[in-house]
Amino acid sequence: MSNIISSALRGQFRQTNEVEKQQSTTQQTGKVQMNAFYKWLLDPKRRGALLVTPAVLLLFVMNIFPLMWSFGLSFFHFKASSMKPPRFAGFYYYEKVLADPVVWDRFQTTAAIVSLSVLTQLVIGSALALLFAKKFPLRREILMMILTPMMLSFVAVGVFFKLFYEPTFGIISQAYMYFSGETMTLLATKWGAIAGIVIADAWMWSPFVMLLVLAGLVSVPDYLYEAADVDRATPWERFKTVTFPYVKGLLLLAVLFRTIETFKLFDIVYIITAGGPGTSTETIAVYVYRMAFQFFKTSQSSALSYILLFVVIVLTNLYLYFVNQRNEGAS
Amino acid sequence: MSTLRKLTSTIALGAVVGAFAVQAPAHAKDITIQMAAPDWGPTRFMQDYANKTYKSPTGNNVKLAIDFIPWGSFYDRVAASMTSGEKKYQLVVSDSQWIGTFIEGGQFMKLNKYIDADAELQNILKDVHPALTESYGTYPYKSKNIYGFPQMPDTKVTFYRKDLFCDDGEQAAFKAKYSKTLPCTYEDWESVDWDTWGNIGEFFRRDAGSKLGSGTTPDDFYGIAYQAGKTYDFSSGQALAFVWQNGGMIWDESNQPNAQAVGVVNSAAAVKGIAKYVDLLKYSPPVAKTGQMGIFAINNLFSQGKIAAIVNWNAVSATAFDPKSSTVADKTAVALPPGTMHNGELVRWDVMGGQPFVLTTWNSDEVVKESLEVVKWWLSKDTQLNFAKKSGNSALQSVMAMPEYDGIKPWNRAHKNVLKWQKDFWHVPEFFELLTQQQEEFDKAITGQSSAKDAMDSIAAFQQELLTEAGRIN
Repeated sequence: MSNIISSALRGQFRQTNEVEKQQSTTQQTGKVQMNAFYKWLLDPKRRGALLVTPAVLLLFVMNIFPLMWSFGLSFFHFKASSMKPPRFAGFYYYEKVLADPVVWDRFQTTAAIVSLSVLTQLVIGSALALLFAKKFPLRREILMMILTPMMLSFVAVGVFFKLFYEPTFGIISQAYMYFSGETMTLLATKWGAIAGIVIADAWMWSPFVMLLVLAGLVSVPDYLYEAADVDRATPWERFKTVTFPYVKGLLLLAVLFRTIETFKLFDIVYIITAGGPGTSTETIAVYVYRMAFQFFKTSQSSALSYILLFVVIVLTNLYLYFVNQRNEGAS
Repeated sequence: MSTLRKLTSTIALGAVVGAFAVQAPAHAKDITIQMAAPDWGPTRFMQDYANKTYKSPTGNNVKLAIDFIPWGSFYDRVAASMTSGEKKYQLVVSDSQWIGTFIEGGQFMKLNKYIDADAELQNILKDVHPALTESYGTYPYKSKNIYGFPQMPDTKVTFYRKDLFCDDGEQAAFKAKYSKTLPCTYEDWESVDWDTWGNIGEFFRRDAGSKLGSGTTPDDFYGIAYQAGKTYDFSSGQALAFVWQNGGMIWDESNQPNAQAVGVVNSAAAVKGIAKYVDLLKYSPPVAKTGQMGIFAINNLFSQGKIAAIVNWNAVSATAFDPKSSTVADKTAVALPPGTMHNGELVRWDVMGGQPFVLTTWNSDEVVKESLEVVKWWLSKDTQLNFAKKSGNSALQSVMAMPEYDGIKPWNRAHKNVLKWQKDFWHVPEFFELLTQQQEEFDKAITGQSSAKDAMDSIAAFQQELLTEAGRIN
C-alpha cells in the first residue's frame, strides 16, 4: 500500500516538475517577447510618437471627444435633463438659431462690449507701456502691481467691481458722490452697465496689452533713435517711423487675443449685471450658458456654440489675411 | 467566586450578548446615504445631528454623508450630477421649482407606493404643514403624487428697527404726518398694508446728518426695501406676492392644458400688483434702480443700519440678529409682512421659500428604505424641535403648536402665521425659461425701461408661446 502511494507521489512529483519546466520556458519566452516589444517600441524612430501619445490621448479625451460629441448633438433632438435617447434633427437647430432674433440681439450686445473693451485696453495698455518703457524709481515694483489684476480670477474681479459700483457703499460710488454730491447708479442704464463691464474687463486685461507693447518698445535698437535725432525727427515722426513699426505686430496680436477672449466674456458680465438691466448686457456667452445649463436646450446651445466658433474662426482668418496683406505690401 | 458573583457575571454577559444581537445582527450592512445639499446652517445642522443621533431602526450601519455645495454653484452642480448619469446621490435638496425638470428627466422618485405602505410616513405627512407638502412634494403641482419632503421651510417676514419704530418722537411725527400709528409691536404690524409700508418708506428717508430716532444718521438712511434683483428669482420672489394679493394669477400649471397665460398673467389685477411693487421701490436704497437689490443686498444694508425695515426670507436675514455681522443685532425685531386690503381683509399671499429633499431613482430597494428612514428621522418631533432651536424652521404643525415654539427664534411667530398664505410658482421643466424671461421683464420695469403693463404683456405672450410649444397649453 505504501509502495503504491509512494510511486503515485513520485509520479505526481515528476508531473509537477514538468509543469514547472513548461511554465519556466513559457515565462522565458514571454520575457524574450516583451524585451523584443520594448526594443521595438523604444526604437528612436518611434520615440517621438511615444512621448507625444499621452498628451494626445489626454487632449482627445478632454477636448476633441467632447467637441465631436457636442457637434454631433447639434444635429439631434436632445435634452441633457432627459433620459430619452437623441433623435436625428438634421440642420433644424442651426436654422432655429440663425432665425432667432434674440441671438442677433445678443451678438450686437457682444459686439458693442468687444469693441469698447478692446479699444479701451489698447489705449490704456499702450499708454502704460510707454510709461514703463522709461526708467524711473520703483518701476519694477509698480509694474508688478499693475500686472496683478491679470492674475486674478474672473469671479474675484466681478465681485470686486460689483461692490465698487454699489450705490450706497461702493468705493467708486462714494468717490463720485464726494465730487458730485449725487448718488451714482452706474448699472441702472444700458450704457452705464456696459461701461461698468468694460471698465472691469479693461482693468483686468490692459496689463496684458501693456506687456506685449512693452516687449515691442524695448526691442527698438537705440541706434535708430540716435539716427532719428540726427535727422532732427519730431516726437511724432520718431513714433511713426521708428517705434510703431516695431510695436505694430505685437499690438495686432494683442487685438487678436483680446477680441477672441472678450467675445467669450461670461464671468464678469454674469456677476456684475447678470445681463441686466433687462437684457441690455447679456452677451452671447451668457445666452449660451442659460440655454445649455438652465433651459437644458442641449442641441440648440450646441448649434449656437458652433456658430460662435465659426464666427471667431472667420474673424481670426480675416484678421490674419489683412495682416499678411499689409506685411506683403510693406515688403 | 461566589455563586452570587457567578450569577451576576452570567446575567451581565448574557445582557451584553443580547444587546449586540439586537443592535448589530449578523447581516447588518454598512450603507452610506449621499445627499447633495447647499452649504449653510440648516444642512450643517442636519449632518451634525445625524452624526450624533441617527441610528437606523433596520439594524444596518447607515451613515448620512452630506456633500455641502456652495449656494452660488448649487444648481449647476446638482444639475450636472443629475444629467451626467453619475448616480452619486441618494438624497438631493432641491428648490421646489426644479423638481419637474428632474421628475420628467427620470431622476427624482415618486414616493406614493412607499407612503401608502408605511403608516409612520403617512402620519408624518399629516403633521407636515399642508402648504409645504403642496409646494415641496407634489408634481404636477397640487396633485396627489408625492416626490419630496421639507428639508428647510422658509417664508418672508418683516425685519424692522424697534429702536426707531418704537421711538416716541418718531411715533408722534408719523402720526402727525399720516394720521396712522407707526407700528412698534408685532400686533401693530398685523394691520400694516403696502400703503402704510410706503408711508414708512417715505417717512424714514433721511439724508446724512439728519435726526433719526434718538440720534442722527451718519449716512443717507432709507425707509424700506424688499428684493428686486435680476439674479435667479430675486424679484419674482416678491413681485408675485403683489400679483396674488391684488387678485391676479400666474399660469396655472395644475390645470393643464386648459389654463392660458395671455389674459391671465397680464390681467388688470396682475398689472396693478406689479405697478405697486415697482412704485414702492422709490423709497428703497439707490441700488434698487440698478436691478441688483437681491436678498443678500437688502440683508447687508439692513445689517449695516442703513434701512428701517425690510421684507426678506427669515433664513437669510437671521444674520441680522448676529452681532458679529450686524450693527443692529440688538435693535431688530420681526413681524408679519404687509398685506393688501381685499374686501375688508388683509390678504398676505406670498411666494413659498425653502427647499424640499427628494429621493433619486437609481437606488436599490434597501437603499430607498434606508433613505426613507432618514426622512422619518428628520421629520420626527425631536429632530424638528432641535432643528428649530439651532438653525432652522420646523415643518411639523405639532412642533409649531408647542407653547415654547414662538419664543425659540424671533421670527418663529411670524413664520408660523404666514405659512398658510404661501403658494409656489411653476414646477414644470420649462421653469427656468419662464423664470428667466419673467426676471428680465421685471428688471426692465424696475429699472424704468418699461411699464408694468408692457412687462406683464411681454411675459404673458412669451409664456403662451413657450407653453403651447411644450404642449402644456391647448
